[in-house]
Amino acid sequence: MRSAQALLGALPHPVQRTLERLGLPAADLAALSGPLGVTPKETIYTQGTLKLHHFRPQCDSVYRVPVLIVTSLVNQPYILDLVPGQSMVEFLLKRGFDVYMIEWGRPRKEHQNLCLEDHVLDRLPACVKQVLSHSGQKELSIIAYCIGGLLAVLWAALAGRRAPLKNLVCMAAPVNSDGLQSLKAWMGPNFDEEALLARHGNVPAEWVQNALRALRPLGKMAGALSLLNQADQTEVVRSHLRMGRWETDNIPFPGGVFRQMVRDFLRGNALVRGTWSLGGHTADLAAIEVPLLHLLAQDDHVTPYGSSRDLVLRAGSRDKQELIVKGGHVGLVAGRGAELRMWPALDAWLSLRSV
Amino acid sequence: MPSRDFNALSPVQIWRDWFVQCESQWSEALTQLLKDPRVGEPLNRQLSEVQFMHRQFAEFAQASLASFNLPSRSDLEVLDERMGRLEDGLAQVAAALSDLRRTLAARSPALAADEQAARPARTRRPAQKD
Repeated sequence: MRSAQALLGALPHPVQRTLERLGLPAADLAALSGPLGVTPKETIYTQGTLKLHHFRPQCDSVYRVPVLIVTSLVNQPYILDLVPGQSMVEFLLKRGFDVYMIEWGRPRKEHQNLCLEDHVLDRLPACVKQVLSHSGQKELSIIAYCIGGLLAVLWAALAGRRAPLKNLVCMAAPVNSDGLQSLKAWMGPNFDEEALLARHGNVPAEWVQNALRALRPLGKMAGALSLLNQADQTEVVRSHLRMGRWETDNIPFPGGVFRQMVRDFLRGNALVRGTWSLGGHTADLAAIEVPLLHLLAQDDHVTPYGSSRDLVLRAGSRDKQELIVKGGHVGLVAGRGAELRMWPALDAWLSLRSV
Repeated sequence: MPSRDFNALSPVQIWRDWFVQCESQWSEALTQLLKDPRVGEPLNRQLSEVQFMHRQFAEFAQASLASFNLPSRSDLEVLDERMGRLEDGLAQVAAALSDLRRTLAARSPALAADEQAARPARTRRPAQKD
């Protein structure tokens, strides 16, 4: 430690200051990012690995219509609740929304046969029912992100007017696989998903992570160099560490869902073709008639515009809007950019429709 | 903390802007290349072969680690699954306790006050714009 201190003292001033701000050599890097997903909540319902959380209200009064957040199947939900001051959940609570969230959980080997029907026709409706029972209301709004958005759209498209749905907000939800050219190319007819599933059961989290990274091949390196570029800004370093922790914390893809996503969605593009049948019923985007807001990121490499624009084009809602904000797939929902751009837009739209 | 007195002509800012643009262009070029079936298909085959070799290595490593009485990846995966079941069990208990608290609050005025505090009135209105 003494030699490290002496070395620090001998370094040029900016480098020394940067290292001190990073807390090196004695700091715990994990401690720099802090605990994530800490907005107070209670678990009100479970089903297998699924947990339904209710966040403690932070206002003296709330909007009548509760909000259910549907997160992606392959990422941890705390991207929407990073740390105090950098949490979409906290933002909504402070704006007076009554917020619930689905945490799908990490599937294990015994869950490898879970399919889309289990999520869209069983688990999601069960959570909706629990939210309505817990809140005492007859309808709710859904805010859904990425694959969670696809699940919510499928549910709304299948249930139509029977769904107790007041508003639907999707964030970077893919609906048209023709816009997912990279994934279509990699998982085309020559991709043997059955071999992958036979070996692993569920698609391993590392596989999911590598597939997402391959969509932006130089992203990891660029992120590291960008961090070095801004190593003198403590909050940038902390934010980078938080996002880094989340980015490496993927969840395995349930085998049955993966099979259907590859065959029916990626290869068959069944949703926009109107041929996607779940539980004996065909999902029809035109059956979505509730107020709809689709938030998209300008530089989204995971859900490019070509894969998401059809939602608003084909939905049957009269009150529907698409809003494109600056940033990438993750920056749409988390980080300084989201705080300045997306969250206020979401609040402005949803608050008017939640009374 | 915002950058100190950086402006558009600052060399550091110019470097950062160029770097971001460059990475974006390179990434886009590589992505377009990977989309090409002439690149994607051989890459897919290579990845399958790498996966096979990885599997062979994992089996060999497991046998070696077992002989030294050390845990292998699959041992840790089994442990991870057990911990996952424990977590799910704990979450079930938490949900049951939450339900019990609500039920008791419905029957007991003393507990009802606490429950009410956690359930504000649903009377909020959006801010009026002038």
